[in-house]
Amino acid sequence: MTSKIITSALKDGRTVLTEVESKQLIAQAGITVVETKLAQSKTEAVEIAKKTGFPVVLKVVSPDIIHKSDIGGVKLNLANATQVGRAYTEIMAAAKKASKKADIHGVSVQKMAKPGVEIIMGMSKDAQFGPVLMFGLGGVFVEVLKDVAFRIVPLVRRDASQMIREIKGFPILQGYRGQEPANIAKLEDMLLKLSDFIDKTPQIKELDLNPIFAYKDGAVAVDARVILESQ
Amino acid sequence: MKNSIPTLEKLDRVFNPRSVAVVGDKQALGYMWLKSLTSFKGRVYSVQIDPNELPGIEKLGVPNYLNLNDIPDAVDYVIAAVPRGVVPAIVKDCIRKQVGGVCFFTSGFAETGTEEGIRLQRVITELANEAGLLVIGPNCVGVYNPRIGLRHNPIQTHGEGGPVGFIAQSGTHATMFTVVGARHGIRFSKSVSYGNAAVLDSTDYLDYLKSDDDTQIIGIYVEAVKDGRKFLSILRALTGKKHVIIWRGGESGEGARATASHTGALAQSSVVWNALIKQCGVIKVDNLEELIDVVKALLYVKPATGTRVGLVAMSGGQSVAIADTFARAGLQVPELSPVSYDRLASFFNIVGGSYRNPFDVSSSFLMSDNAIGNMANMLDVLDKDPKIDSIVLELFTIISPFSKNKNNPDPLLNTIAEFKERSKKPFITIVTAGYNETLAAEIRDRLLEKDIPSFPGFERGARTLKKLADYYKLRQGQSLN
Repeated sequence: MTSKIITSALKDGRTVLTEVESKQLIAQAGITVVETKLAQSKTEAVEIAKKTGFPVVLKVVSPDIIHKSDIGGVKLNLANATQVGRAYTEIMAAAKKASKKADIHGVSVQKMAKPGVEIIMGMSKDAQFGPVLMFGLGGVFVEVLKDVAFRIVPLVRRDASQMIREIKGFPILQGYRGQEPANIAKLEDMLLKLSDFIDKTPQIKELDLNPIFAYKDGAVAVDARVILESQ
Repeated sequence: MKNSIPTLEKLDRVFNPRSVAVVGDKQALGYMWLKSLTSFKGRVYSVQIDPNELPGIEKLGVPNYLNLNDIPDAVDYVIAAVPRGVVPAIVKDCIRKQVGGVCFFTSGFAETGTEEGIRLQRVITELANEAGLLVIGPNCVGVYNPRIGLRHNPIQTHGEGGPVGFIAQSGTHATMFTVVGARHGIRFSKSVSYGNAAVLDSTDYLDYLKSDDDTQIIGIYVEAVKDGRKFLSILRALTGKKHVIIWRGGESGEGARATASHTGALAQSSVVWNALIKQCGVIKVDNLEELIDVVKALLYVKPATGTRVGLVAMSGGQSVAIADTFARAGLQVPELSPVSYDRLASFFNIVGGSYRNPFDVSSSFLMSDNAIGNMANMLDVLDKDPKIDSIVLELFTIISPFSKNKNNPDPLLNTIAEFKERSKKPFITIVTAGYNETLAAEIRDRLLEKDIPSFPGFERGARTLKKLADYYKLRQGQSLN
């Protein structure tokens, strides 16, 4: 299965997909993502924000800028058109300041997602076994504690079920200290859809869905990063 | 012309040969190959061109030929220990002779990382693949089949076979596991060391042992596999059918990789191997001792249904130590049911002993007039207690717990053996050496004669029971946490 998104990025000589492209691709796998649109002007950003509904998030879209928040390329919780307009100007200025050569596609606009339990799912390729999927809790759990579980693609339901329960932080998903529990079955579905998609899309080299917000009734990928195999 | 016989059929011929030829055995090797084959039930031939070696070979009574193709018989399996430069010529001879397969003991190929070594290995691969010749190695010791006396080391046992198959990248591990394992009551169907895997890889041997009816337990020592996806799919097909134990070597040598994602940064090779092990319901071991312990438990210990252990130690100090060790390994040492305590109170002397769990049997066994009867009763209490899943008995090794004369029936040994027979629960003994290694070995052997498994130390016993409990739990589809 070769998506147009992959073909066109490779045609441009790019292996790093932008957030907008990555999310569109992930959505094709049947995974719920926060709908994200590209704005190439301030006016466009405001229009999209109005249609999406406030509050929104704006992020710089550039295949050359990987750590977006480090350079001031992310603005959260924008409540009205004025704030969106100002954020657009600030992000573009910050991006240009950070890298003169960066290819800046514009700014992505998306609804500020309702907070949930932060999850990370991802894929990487092992030299011996090919694609492997990772599951963990997001933020400090993955970055500092490395509390993650892996399985080799293709996953079966039992694998998805076991890897979620294998992490030390599993009680957090069950609803810890009054926090809403995550819907484990939906997370299993998401892992299986991802496994299926990866199996059919060998052009993908690495992938992070980070974070995914997990809720009582489902889960949504808030950010996505896809890296393609170079041709 | 390419030989189009399926690989599994060719492997079957190599694992069960009727005739074997050794090319290049010599005095400097102590005629290791020909001596290993003195037990072989089929026909043995030697191929050697060095006139200085011929008297030694003649003395062994093995007919020698100057070329493989001079042998007036079909040859199913060839073992070659020749200088590396001669290997391509031997490959060609094997192709012409239409042998079942050849194992090259010779080293000095890709494992050296040298240009010449890599080139020579590529020559072997190309010649063999083009002709469809089955090559094991190079840089390995090949096949062991004790039932037909096919050995790669004269100290390997032969005659009796068993349900354990072993696939090892390393020749030393193949020799050590089969030799040391035999001392622990492990009997083998087949084993193979496959070295550099120039033609056949672990995956091919795994596929063979999967279909081999004689093999019910498969051990694997592996550092890397070539076709990971195929390896995974064969392992998956084996899940729930045969027990598989993997000892993965080289974990410590892996560095971080350059990646662009969080996932990539965390997906080290050892992590992926652990994923494979969980996905396929495989038991992971880290060294030869663990491999032996786990296989022994699979052979001699009933499947574990839980992690609650009843512990019987020979003294107060040992009862504390055994409880600590089993708890540290992740097992539980619970209090018994009230009815068990009622039964124990009727015969157990608590002056100089105790039975909370763990048991300290100093007064009720070591210094009792009714030692044997008490032992049987204690073990039965644990067997009947629904709060206990497995039973562990420490045996005293400062003096022998058994009668001196090995030929006399021993009441304690018989009591333990009878208990093991009637109990439905996993049961192991611990025989710690330390004071007298010879005596400990003798005690282990006498237990083994009665099919009673013993472990050398609390820790090895505890870790083995935990591994088996985890394994059976995983097989039931539950996750580990």
